[in-house]
Amino acid sequence: MNLFTKQTTRAPSNHLENSKHKINVSLTRKNAWLLWLCQCLNIAVIALELSSWMLAIISLSLVWQALLLHQNRDRSKTKQQNSYVVNSKQHSSDKIKKQQVGQVSPILLGMFAVLGCLALAVTAKEVGILTTMVQLLCFSYVLKAFEIKARSDFYQLILLGLFVLSSSLIFRQDLAFSFIVLSLLVINLAILLQYFSSESALVTNIKVVMLLLGQSILLASILFLVFPRLSPFWQVPKAKSNETGLSDTVKPGDIANLTRSTKLAFRADFGQQKVPEYSQLYWRAVVLENYDGRQWSKQKSDGIKTTNKIDSLAKKSLIFDAGTTGVNPLNYQVVVEPSFQKYLFALAPAVVTGDKSGIHAESDFTFISSRNISQAKSYQLTSYLTAPFSLELTQKSKQVNLKYPKGSNPRLESFAQQLQHDYVDVQARAQAVLMFINKENYEYTLQPPLLENNSLDQFFFETKSGFCAHYASAFTFLMRASGIPARMVTGYLGGEFNGDTAQEANPEGHMSIYQYDAHAWSEIWVVGRGWLRIDPTSAVDLERINSGWSSELLQEQSALNDDLLSLYQLKNTAWLNALRLQFDALDYQWTRWVIGFTTKQQYNLFNDLFGKMAAWKLATIIAVSLIVSITMLMLFLHLINRVKQKKIPLAKWQIFYHKALTQLAKQGIEKPTGMTVNDFAKQVREQSPELAIAFTRLSTSYNRLCYQTLTINEQAKIALTMQQQYQQLLHTLKQQQ
Amino acid sequence: MPQALPLVDKVQASQQLITAILDRIETVVLGKPNECRLALACLLAQGHLLIEDLPGMGKTTLAHVLATTLGLSYQRTQFTNDLLPADVVGFSIFDKETNRFALHQGPIFNQVVLADEINRASPKTQSALLEAMAEQQVSIDGITHELPSPFFVIATQNPLFHAGTYPLPESQLDRFMMRLSLGFPDLKAEREILLSTAQHTNESSHKGNTDFTAMIEQEELIAIQEAVTQVNVSNDVLDYIIALSQVSRRAYGGLDNVVKLPQGNIPDINCRPLSPRASKALLQAAKAMAFIDNRDYVMPDDVQAVFYVVCQHRLEMQPNQQIGASKFDVSSVANQILNCVDVLNPLGYS
Repeated sequence: MNLFTKQTTRAPSNHLENSKHKINVSLTRKNAWLLWLCQCLNIAVIALELSSWMLAIISLSLVWQALLLHQNRDRSKTKQQNSYVVNSKQHSSDKIKKQQVGQVSPILLGMFAVLGCLALAVTAKEVGILTTMVQLLCFSYVLKAFEIKARSDFYQLILLGLFVLSSSLIFRQDLAFSFIVLSLLVINLAILLQYFSSESALVTNIKVVMLLLGQSILLASILFLVFPRLSPFWQVPKAKSNETGLSDTVKPGDIANLTRSTKLAFRADFGQQKVPEYSQLYWRAVVLENYDGRQWSKQKSDGIKTTNKIDSLAKKSLIFDAGTTGVNPLNYQVVVEPSFQKYLFALAPAVVTGDKSGIHAESDFTFISSRNISQAKSYQLTSYLTAPFSLELTQKSKQVNLKYPKGSNPRLESFAQQLQHDYVDVQARAQAVLMFINKENYEYTLQPPLLENNSLDQFFFETKSGFCAHYASAFTFLMRASGIPARMVTGYLGGEFNGDTAQEANPEGHMSIYQYDAHAWSEIWVVGRGWLRIDPTSAVDLERINSGWSSELLQEQSALNDDLLSLYQLKNTAWLNALRLQFDALDYQWTRWVIGFTTKQQYNLFNDLFGKMAAWKLATIIAVSLIVSITMLMLFLHLINRVKQKKIPLAKWQIFYHKALTQLAKQGIEKPTGMTVNDFAKQVREQSPELAIAFTRLSTSYNRLCYQTLTINEQAKIALTMQQQYQQLLHTLKQQQ
Repeated sequence: MPQALPLVDKVQASQQLITAILDRIETVVLGKPNECRLALACLLAQGHLLIEDLPGMGKTTLAHVLATTLGLSYQRTQFTNDLLPADVVGFSIFDKETNRFALHQGPIFNQVVLADEINRASPKTQSALLEAMAEQQVSIDGITHELPSPFFVIATQNPLFHAGTYPLPESQLDRFMMRLSLGFPDLKAEREILLSTAQHTNESSHKGNTDFTAMIEQEELIAIQEAVTQVNVSNDVLDYIIALSQVSRRAYGGLDNVVKLPQGNIPDINCRPLSPRASKALLQAAKAMAFIDNRDYVMPDDVQAVFYVVCQHRLEMQPNQQIGASKFDVSSVANQILNCVDVLNPLGYS
């Protein structure tokens, strides 16, 4: 009699520990798509900085990849069907491996890569080395995905992705963007984790990654505070990005375009002092002295030597001026957003009180940075708002500020001559022009009609509608033509106060100045009073000067703006506005404390912590902390290695048994390591018969769960009973006591 | 009727049979239930059995009863120091009538070969068994002959200090799945032995008593052996076996790289390393024990039950000189190893 027939060998029991030693080497289809999606996101973050042709190539590759993935699905489907026909062994559907995504021939891929690199090399000179390298990185990131064959390839891809992510931070560092990058980091790491863990749900892996990142925050913050910011390496490289903000030439129509942008330009923090009135907040940036009949441009400085001389001269005169008039000084801090330009902003006349390095004061009381601002930059200023400046005018600058191309605007010139004739007093002459503008039917608008050849005549006498740059241009021209030294100044007017306005005496908060606050005005030179600020816009739209944009202007702006949420809507929805202000405050703190944490701040921090110290002491501290952090890293890696062996967490039911063992140990019954569960149960029976029943049951359940082949349902069931048995044991133990 | 039964049912179906066989063996080998189970387990696990003890302890009886109850063809060969390999495996002889060499099959062409007092033969003769035990085939004059299936070698040997013994070569020892010692019977058992012998003399049918009828068909035996190989082994048990063999390999660098035992301070165990063949034998024997114990899965208890008999002869540096050394010999190498591996967490995961 044949009792048994052959049966296919059963796999070893599928316990929780089943995946203990096995690591899934190839990607499942779901994971492959996730990886692809993650790639797309990573690229999207940096997409704005890539040149359009490179972006095209990259998106082409991504689409290609997606097609391959799609094809692969069809293939594996047919394969699956075949395998069902050929042999009836069961295949669980999720075990279908993604076999070789990269079915592309390596030669084709290689050629593609070489062509891309050549193109990059050719354009390298135009776009600069940094952008080229970033593009190369993105390019290789996308191409790498075609040849995932081994585990190391997968590692490389994830690593490249992380590099792409972090390189996007070169270009933007504000809070919202950092948050996006952080969440992408989580996604990237979760996909990496997904590759290893038996857990297939992405959400669970994301949770794990967040936990891990949370744990690493401590190390990160220590490194952030302590790691020396060695200047060539530990700095945001000078990116050549799109310049934003004011430029050093202004045509009458220019500023209006700028006002469509709701981007932040800079922030100013007055600390505990009372914020000056809105109409006092003329943030000077560029002084434009050259006029060629079409546009205003900056007078080129004569080189560093003379600048220095002028610098010291100007300072002398300023101190003198401030002293005589007894003006209250206003101290404040300015944090400039990256504009990739050199202009800094100040309420004139001002001196830099804090750290002066990297800031040049110009003779016209503007400040410029020594390098393009690619990272948030902060500086301390002291302004004497009403103090006159440049009481003496050099012959040369007088010439420059009176120059205008004769015959370019004949009607204005004749008007000017008439003015010169009518009003002898310089200030009265300027006032007369303002009166004229106010009385005549001039309009202040963001959409001025186009001017032929930027003719000021046409604006002043025909169209009569324009924006600040129009009025300032025309006004300055009139002044020059009537013999008054005058110049055009661009900058920002006003700003938005963010903070607790209730405390009038000592408000806490900061001003945020946005691009739409850009403004242009004039300065005329009056004997004995120096350069006087005259804003012809005030004659047209007083509201603009006193409190900012009127609602009509805002509506106009939002009509021009393509943004989903326009400024007008924002400002008119109370809660949205509050939210925006909250976020702005957060972003300010972020910029100030995290982005703005430079070598100087670091040094100051150490000074505050350990008192003034010599450089060598600081160096020692940094070296020690470096060594400590590296040791920590090594320890961490070592632990990881150990964890590799110890990574299997105990199941719940195992914990019950172990808890029971500790309880018994308290009773003096200890389990020798080499003893099996059954033998120990026997021992317990002998030593403490009261506990025997409960513990033997617990042991039996443990044995079954641990060694028997069970279905998941059975496992759950027994695990549940085991909990009850454990509680029973505890109960008996209590009774015993 | 070919019908795929689940393993659990197979185990249960054959349980009655196994109990019956065990009972039968125990009626002959009195007072040694544990050893009887181990011996049966060895055969169910398709392993060869070495019984080492003093003369007159019932070695041959055990071998004999095993062979007959399992219904296998059986031949006993007394190994002496002048026994030649050809005496064991057979030889070719020229047949005058057919004008051909004909094979004269030696005693090895039986399903059970009882090699009595194997260590009295010269190493050369001992080695003649090597191929048969490993490959289940013999080569005579360059021709390979398959041996019948199932095929077991049950060898008995006297402790080494006895006069006229050659130690078994290590390779030979390694091929025995188990080495059993019967040990002295206890008082009660000895009384029974004496009584039963008296009965036999009374009835003068001594032969009839030992000539057991087969209790199991050969196909059934093969099916059971097949079922034994299918007994489930969880990863924990595998880890346990791995840890045990790793500990024995510690002196050879096996342990430190692979396992970190939680205790950390394993006593220096002076032993030979366990080969993978040994751990395979351990697993197989444990499976058989589980099967006999009416389970379709292996527990560490099974491993522990067979560990001494499977591994002691592979572990010890010098053959154990102690008479009647058994599982309960606390100082044995095997028990030292068992004591230092955590059953709940063999490879030291936390």
